[in-house]
Amino acid sequence: MDLNNIKDAFDRVTKKQKVSSSKSQEVIEQMSQEIEQALSGIQSATNSTSPQPDHNLILTELKAKLKEIAPLGQLEGTQKELNLALSKYIKLLEKHFNPDISRSYRNVDFDLHTVNQIIASHFYREGMFDIGDCFVNEAHEESVVDRKTHFLEMYQILESMKSRDLGPALKWATTNHEKLQQSGSDIELKLHRLQFMEILQHGRRDEALKYARAYFSPFANQHLPEIQKLMACLLWAGKIESSPYSELLSPTHWAKLAHELAQQFCNLLGESYQSPLSITIAAGVQGLPTLLKLMNVMTGKKHEWQSMKQLPVPIDIDQEFQFHSIFVCPVSRDQASEENPPMLMSCGHVLCKQSITKLSKNNSTRPFKCPYCPTEVEVGQCRRLYF
Amino acid sequence: MEPLANGNSTVATATTASPTATSLPSLHAGVPSSKLSQLTDSLKLEHQFLRVPFEHYKKTIRANHRAVEKEVSAVMSGLSDAADLSQDDAVQHLNSLVSRLQGLKRKLEDGSRAEHLQAQRCRARLDHLESADADNISEWNNTRLKRILVDYMLRMSYYDTATKLAETSSIQDLVDIEIFYEAKKVIDALQNKEVAPALAWCAENKSRLKKAKSKFEFQLRLQEFIELVRSDNNVRAVMYARKYLAPWAATYMKELQKVFATLAFTSNTGCEIYKVLFEPKQWDYLMDQFKQEFCRLYGMTMEPLLNIYLQAGLSALKTPFCYEDDCTKEDPLSQESFRKLAMPLPFSKQHHSKLVCYITKDLMDTENPPLVLPNGYVYSTKALEEMATNNNGKITCPRTGLVYNYTEVTKAYIS
Ligand SMILES: [Zn+2]
Ligand SMILES: [Zn+2]
Repeated sequence: MDLNNIKDAFDRVTKKQKVSSSKSQEVIEQMSQEIEQALSGIQSATNSTSPQPDHNLILTELKAKLKEIAPLGQLEGTQKELNLALSKYIKLLEKHFNPDISRSYRNVDFDLHTVNQIIASHFYREGMFDIGDCFVNEAHEESVVDRKTHFLEMYQILESMKSRDLGPALKWATTNHEKLQQSGSDIELKLHRLQFMEILQHGRRDEALKYARAYFSPFANQHLPEIQKLMACLLWAGKIESSPYSELLSPTHWAKLAHELAQQFCNLLGESYQSPLSITIAAGVQGLPTLLKLMNVMTGKKHEWQSMKQLPVPIDIDQEFQFHSIFVCPVSRDQASEENPPMLMSCGHVLCKQSITKLSKNNSTRPFKCPYCPTEVEVGQCRRLYF
Repeated sequence: MEPLANGNSTVATATTASPTATSLPSLHAGVPSSKLSQLTDSLKLEHQFLRVPFEHYKKTIRANHRAVEKEVSAVMSGLSDAADLSQDDAVQHLNSLVSRLQGLKRKLEDGSRAEHLQAQRCRARLDHLESADADNISEWNNTRLKRILVDYMLRMSYYDTATKLAETSSIQDLVDIEIFYEAKKVIDALQNKEVAPALAWCAENKSRLKKAKSKFEFQLRLQEFIELVRSDNNVRAVMYARKYLAPWAATYMKELQKVFATLAFTSNTGCEIYKVLFEPKQWDYLMDQFKQEFCRLYGMTMEPLLNIYLQAGLSALKTPFCYEDDCTKEDPLSQESFRKLAMPLPFSKQHHSKLVCYITKDLMDTENPPLVLPNGYVYSTKALEEMATNNNGKITCPRTGLVYNYTEVTKAYIS
């Protein structure tokens, strides 16, 4: 984003502010000097015998002098310029940014308790345990602490993996062997493979062989080629770098496996891999500009906006936020639903049921022409689709 | 790549293959323009991020200037008062003026330091906004979420969490903890049913509150009056009203009369309209009122940023399918808590079909067209091809368990 003119305007503010504050200092300095001069004038009058001007006379002179300096008048000019720069900067911000992003906010009260629980869960699942604890205490949401223990285990496993210790990860995979197999994950074998390569890399061939015998056999049925390849690595124990299997040593395997483990861990917990709070806020950041633009045409219809059941405009958000298939009938522009499902016509084009009923004029035997190709279609041959 | 008519196709291919090498160096080479405009749009939401520290800066500048004005004119009038003094008195008087000016000078130096720090903070925010680009966007977004959370904590008075989160993420300059601590003093006092700090705050921001036609000070005064009535201190209550409520009479006559009538009813009145005035929730109301005034003064949104973004995000994500049992758990709206928040919000809208493969979660478009099994279930070409290759041409529908041959699938054309 180009912020140069905003930065310039800000520099102007600081410049004027510096001028103004040095002007103030100057005035104060001047005043002090005049007063001190007057003081020493009075004091020298006391000490000398010769006739000196009366102290009251000195005071009167001082008054006149200070009035002449007219300190506040001097400050006014610089202050005016400073004020100008200040308000100009604020105007510039209002022009270049959305000055009120709450314009599309619906006046509904979010349940405090629900929001707080979402936040506490977010801290724990992101591994911010201290902050999560602090928040749970401060907001009195103690019931969320249960969630902490699960994620604590996950972060301990990942922490160990960072220091190349697979112990906790393997322990978790073994404990959850059944569940992992049910969900079709081969992460347990992948962990054993990594451990096996770790042993081999240090040249401990016998130990590696022992390890393979102990742990690979349960996977023999499903992953035989993989295991054969690993066993062949035994031939290159200690010099795998220069073997055809050098790729197996790549440190990216550790990072990838850590990522996969986190995914599987969340999956077994019944949790999403990414924090739902992060996802929703990110979607909100992408959607909000459209909503604010919408408000420009909704002015005067504030009430309508507050009660709308569906947004009147589409919000363009990234595909990563698209969790459901939405079928929009190309004829009626309606979103398909359970009552009005998408139907496949014999030509391969898809319309929603209501459109097909309309096109066939409610006659299920008389063919009608597909609006997108020359094919004649019969209602009876249309099939419901499930996306 | 289409061959070019002028026969220069090899050269042309070479240049298009590596656009960064031959085209002029661009700041965002290779980033699609839609992504960039999306980024710009999101940065435009950051008004408060720049405005709040600037208001703080402005406030400090004004306070410093006021201090100078006040002290200088005090010295001037101190000087004009000094007439017909004895010599000793004159010396003493002038000495006191000099030390007064010295005090001002020190105060001004402190003030300058504060101004400088606040200017730095404003600049840090500009720099932070400027630093957002395609390369660091995920980290930048992470920081944004943390900023939004700190804002939430501060508004809900979870100061410890706010401070801790800001410190551990090193984003102190990007959040407004200091400013909210100013509010904390007032809020804590109101919680203890004390109005003095709130009144002091009103005095501090007098001209701006007046400009915004704020009623807050009047409401504080009313509450103090009510408290005097509550404690049966009627004489003092009347004196108080004369001094502090009368000036508001022109603007808020009706309310004034109503509150004044409490003198007749006292605090254990059965009359509903008056009973309300004595309820403790009046203090909560004052607290809310203060928070609103405070946010307005600093150019903040009335709602926490978190709530604003959550609402927008939930609306963008909300589809009728989210409330069905098979909503994927990657969708925040598969969770009860998110569903609850989304309840009063509108559903999103699509003008064009957006189909996501049930198996791979990939978009099904012309690159990866949807295929239909004989049972009407639709999956992406990529998913079914892979399944067929791995299973000797057999396809198992993951949602119904039915098995088909890959040859049985047909194409669907989605426009
Ligand atoms: Zn057709
Ligand atoms: Zn959903």
